[in-house]
Amino acid sequence: MTEKRTTRGVYGWFLQRITGLFLAFFLIVHLNVMHFSEGSLEIDFASVTARLQSSPFWAAFYILFIPSVVFHGLNGIWGIYMDYRPGLRAKKSVLFILWLLGIALTMYGTWGLIPLFYA
Amino acid sequence: MKISDFWMSMIKEWKRNPNVGTFSWILHRVTGVLLVLYLFPHFWSIASSRWGAGAFDHKMRSYETPLIKFFEMGLVLLVAVHMINGLRITIADFFFLTKSQRALFWIGVVLFLFVLAASILAFFPKIFV
Repeated sequence: MTEKRTTRGVYGWFLQRITGLFLAFFLIVHLNVMHFSEGSLEIDFASVTARLQSSPFWAAFYILFIPSVVFHGLNGIWGIYMDYRPGLRAKKSVLFILWLLGIALTMYGTWGLIPLFYA
Repeated sequence: MKISDFWMSMIKEWKRNPNVGTFSWILHRVTGVLLVLYLFPHFWSIASSRWGAGAFDHKMRSYETPLIKFFEMGLVLLVAVHMINGLRITIADFFFLTKSQRALFWIGVVLFLFVLAASILAFFPKIFV
């Protein structure tokens, strides 16, 4: 029981793929709207709020997008970190910091978007 | 663990296994880390909406420079590399196609070239205004 686990675990592996598939969809839509479609030249408060409030789809879209991208990114960092075979103590503190950072970043990203849905 | 270990492990792995698998593994790491770093200033920019339409528009206008448009194109290409390679890994994992990863790599390269062409068409009018 005292062996050092150096893998990121099967849940992390599986969730990385599931969030990755979600992100493929989210990013194709997001980048298409932002850079590849008509109107992508004028990104301002008025055009962004008009789009985001045009349908409840966009609220659901970004509410899922933000935690997916945060989890996927930080779980990726965790995977890289695990490749360097850290000790148990270091592993525990880094995991704690990443969870804290992930929760904070998800809340911050969502908080920053809210005015675009209500203004 | 030092930051230099991050690069050293890639150089070491490349010397041991100089093939497309190692190449895409390195690309995946580097693009992944860069995209995570981008997330912070990105959320910070959007959060300017908290201070009203004026603050948001002021921030967005400050990004309307040829250099930043050029970086945005680079960002889209980072996403494209990471997404195409990530899908290749997922397909190989879920459909037991590990043995075809080399062929999948070259399909990915072709896909990337299409994205590159589309990006040049979309971004050059914004970069060279």
